[in-house]
Amino acid sequence: MFAAKRAGNGVAVVLPQQEPVSLLQADDRTLVGRAADGDSQAFAVIVRRHAPVMRAYARRLLGSTDEVDDVVQDTFIDAWRHLPDLRDATTLRSWLMRIVSHKSVDRIRARRYHDDIDQHEIESPGQTTPENISISRSRENALGQVLSALPERQRQCWTLKEMGGYSYDQIAESLALPTSTVRGLLARARRTVTKEMEGWE
Amino acid sequence: MTTPTDPAATPEHDDSHLDGHTLDQLSDYLDADMTPPNPEIDSSPTCQIALASLRRVRAASALLLDADAEHESALEDGWFDRILNAISLDFHAGRSIPVPNPSSSAVITTTEGAIRGLIRAAGDTVHGLLVGRCTLDGEITTQGAPIRIRVDASVYWGRPIPETATQLQEAISLALSTQTELNVTAIDVTVHDIYRP
Repeated sequence: MFAAKRAGNGVAVVLPQQEPVSLLQADDRTLVGRAADGDSQAFAVIVRRHAPVMRAYARRLLGSTDEVDDVVQDTFIDAWRHLPDLRDATTLRSWLMRIVSHKSVDRIRARRYHDDIDQHEIESPGQTTPENISISRSRENALGQVLSALPERQRQCWTLKEMGGYSYDQIAESLALPTSTVRGLLARARRTVTKEMEGWE
Repeated sequence: MTTPTDPAATPEHDDSHLDGHTLDQLSDYLDADMTPPNPEIDSSPTCQIALASLRRVRAASALLLDADAEHESALEDGWFDRILNAISLDFHAGRSIPVPNPSSSAVITTTEGAIRGLIRAAGDTVHGLLVGRCTLDGEITTQGAPIRIRVDASVYWGRPIPETATQLQEAISLALSTQTELNVTAIDVTVHDIYRP
């Protein structure tokens, strides 16, 4: 279990006798407020709640590598430090996603220094296996498979743009590519995606 | 059908099939929330079909991560522990608060974070309520300065809000008066949400 190593700020937490206060039910605003004030138990609930989506997002960007869980771990460690600056808790998810974007992009760029990205064989997220096809009942599952089949570079650009909310210029700067290249990659990705998704309209 | 059957055979910037517009332009138009309005696009059935298709993809992508997340494997406890260990040295202590002390040779201080922890602990003793963020307004680093406390809270369904908020004020007041020398002038409680069953 995710046992808290200490009560927030060394102050003993007095548990109520009648009705246990369940942080698991707490909304993000309450959890963000408590975590910003130093309550690591509340932060633990935030991590539990948002880790699956952050991993899914990192996996869309990075492919299925060991880096995914490292990136998400680093994301939450940074998030703890900066939570007191997060004024609007309703933006917690997109705020966390921005940190994942930054950290994933760092990894993607680091790969380029070590080897040719085109030679980089990384398993795409959600490989098309018979099992995956059978669960592809919904439009979003179908989209997931289409995205997984995109060339790596197109997939990264598309994910940063459509999920991470990056602009063309931000993607270009992040991936160290000319903006015109990013536009071209996105144009190809978009054509493939809209075409492949026609059956789901 | 708005696109050619084989996308690979389509020239990079083939505008012909969308009434003189590219899919990119339509995507940008969607990004800009269709402002300012472009009458050419708005009056073109072909463009409208392509826009609808882009919108559907966008709607699906908004749901995709949640769908993906359901298929993520469970994380090991060790993964969570590493995060907790890493953050355990950063207490979010905030400002230092002087503590009255008869000795002239020793200085005792507590921290804003410790006071917030105390307020939170007091709040958690109140039936049917969860304390959120606590803010200490005032020159807290000056001994005896008037301090106003603001507490964000949420209340469980069925709990009377005024009584619960009053109980919270009393619990905080009691904890602070017995455990600190803070000059608290007010405790403001904001109930921002009610948990439904």
